[in-house]
Amino acid sequence: MFKKLMLSAVILATILAFSGCQQQAEEDTIKIGFFGALSGDQAVWGQADRDGLTLTVEQINEAGGIMGKQVELITYDDKGDQLEAVNVVKRLINEDKVSAIIGCNSSGRNIAVAPVVEEGKVPIISTFATNPRVTVPEEGKLMQYTFRVCFIDPYSGDVTAQFAWNDLEATKAAVLYEISSDYSVGVRDFFTQAWEELGGEIVADEAFKTGDVDFRAQLTTIKEAEPDVIVMPFLYKEVALAAKQARDLGITATMLGGDGWPSTALLEMAADAVEGSYFINHADVDAPHVQEWRDQYQERFGKDIEINAIMSHDAMLMVKAAIEESGSTDPEVIRDALENLTGVEGFSGTINIDPETHNPAGKAAVIIEIKDGKFQFFKQFEPMN
Amino acid sequence: MILQQLVNGISIGAVYALIAVGYSLVYSVLNFSNFAHGEILMLGSYVGFFALTQLNVPFVLSIALAMIGAGVIAILMEKIGYRALRLRQAPLLYFMISAMGLSIFLQNFTIVTIGPNFRTYPDVLPTQPFTLGNLSIGRIDLLIFAITVISLAMLTWLIYRTKLGSAIRAASYNMNVASLMGINPDLIVMIVFALAGSTAGIGGVLFGMKYTVYPWMGALTIKAFIAAVVGGLGSLPGAVLGAFVLGITETFAAAFVSSEFRDLFAYTLMITIIVLRPAGLLGTLTQEKA
Repeated sequence: MFKKLMLSAVILATILAFSGCQQQAEEDTIKIGFFGALSGDQAVWGQADRDGLTLTVEQINEAGGIMGKQVELITYDDKGDQLEAVNVVKRLINEDKVSAIIGCNSSGRNIAVAPVVEEGKVPIISTFATNPRVTVPEEGKLMQYTFRVCFIDPYSGDVTAQFAWNDLEATKAAVLYEISSDYSVGVRDFFTQAWEELGGEIVADEAFKTGDVDFRAQLTTIKEAEPDVIVMPFLYKEVALAAKQARDLGITATMLGGDGWPSTALLEMAADAVEGSYFINHADVDAPHVQEWRDQYQERFGKDIEINAIMSHDAMLMVKAAIEESGSTDPEVIRDALENLTGVEGFSGTINIDPETHNPAGKAAVIIEIKDGKFQFFKQFEPMN
Repeated sequence: MILQQLVNGISIGAVYALIAVGYSLVYSVLNFSNFAHGEILMLGSYVGFFALTQLNVPFVLSIALAMIGAGVIAILMEKIGYRALRLRQAPLLYFMISAMGLSIFLQNFTIVTIGPNFRTYPDVLPTQPFTLGNLSIGRIDLLIFAITVISLAMLTWLIYRTKLGSAIRAASYNMNVASLMGINPDLIVMIVFALAGSTAGIGGVLFGMKYTVYPWMGALTIKAFIAAVVGGLGSLPGAVLGAFVLGITETFAAAFVSSEFRDLFAYTLMITIIVLRPAGLLGTLTQEKA
């Protein structure tokens, strides 16, 4: 009996000693969490998000870290699934005890994890989720711990409508959208609203479900309606398939897209079909001030940059600024600093957070044209208010 | 427009038909739904893809390789996943669990090894579609239709005109009595899986050509399942008919009712058939035929 007691006492003491060690190690690094779709449909973007963040963190650490401490990046794969996203965010908050979370690129998943970070009191910055409900789920309510570094869908819908009306001089638009995606439905709603306000006509409004690969039924209906432009606010894989099928059916209308288009994979899959189309993006990867970093990214990862890397880079700059301004790594203090953050110079523009909506104010959009099989900068749109 | 939608429906139906036939074949002999059939299709598609891009073989050879590859994978699947259960006369439920497990394993294995990115088949045909007046028919669709018809014709010849085919049909009626007649059940099962795998392999290549290759493309099997049920589980002509009925119904629903209801119609069709005519359009209730 005595032996057993001694044994348990020794074991307990050892555990306590080790956990003591753990505590020390924690305070020497700043833990930042990341989650994204590292497998599945959106893997190209999730991986770019993660890689851009990894490079940014490495560069910050080489320059001395934040407030003298090294940054430790903890990454998880949410497989593009909302349930899994909730799980990994809970892990980041409860087990890894991160100071802030960066991620992800999907409105659907960010809306799903927003309540989790509210409860866990750890701030999250989304890189690419554009649906307004991510930060403001309904009129008058604000998610205290959720922020984003990109512009929102009402702005995208507006820009698309204005571009089609003024620059392309179109009057009849058809919309093909993904009904199971918060993002796609949102952009379609906002585009339709802005378009009809301008005086345009929606001649066809067709939907498909995530996972569908054949759009010819919908496209045939669209063809019959003879639109000037077809708005396709969904992700590059479906865009590639739909564009090919549209051209196969003999549709010649110009195709317009949103920030779900940009990806080198789109060109790999359907360069001919999307030739002459336009889409909206958060920044231009060919802009001169991005090129040096782009080369570093290419060298580090052996592949070309995607827009997501730029957004996660900017999100990390936001976190760094918040920590430096507040002088603390406590998540709740970081949150307060993020809410009033101004003047962060990112690759996507100057970031000033609006305390009422947690969205960056004054971010411009760029219109990219797909010409000669490449993405080419076409035009910049005024900042949103 | 109706004519164009009909063309669309038929071309989707042709892809479903190839998959449904393999599915039905396995069901007729073994009496269970191989939920991992889609993964054979997926792996066959990858085989064809790598043959075309890495080994630079001509297109016809890549289809042949995909057929052989998928056939081999199907045989392995049977050996690993189902043989032990069959010899032990395990209840059907165990087969289904094994199938689901295999399906999940193969999908994730592919994600981890080959990677989750989409692969595009190189353009084997000129991309200009055929136009007949207002109708637009993609060349790939014609190819798919042609290959489907040829494969089905060959399969039908095999099953109804050869000794091996008689053996398969006998086994599908009653495995035990067939083995009493001197037919080796293990061999027959293996051959059936190989045949099902081969059709899935072809289907995989054609599907990959049209829609790109990715690890979870096997999810298409659910449509093949609906097609097989509608046509009559276990009946090969039924599977083909069911596939075309499904393709056309889906397309027309999406075009003339609402594109949001496409899947709803597909599943409603299946439920209606099960309720009104459980054997399916061409199936017979008491006996399963190959």
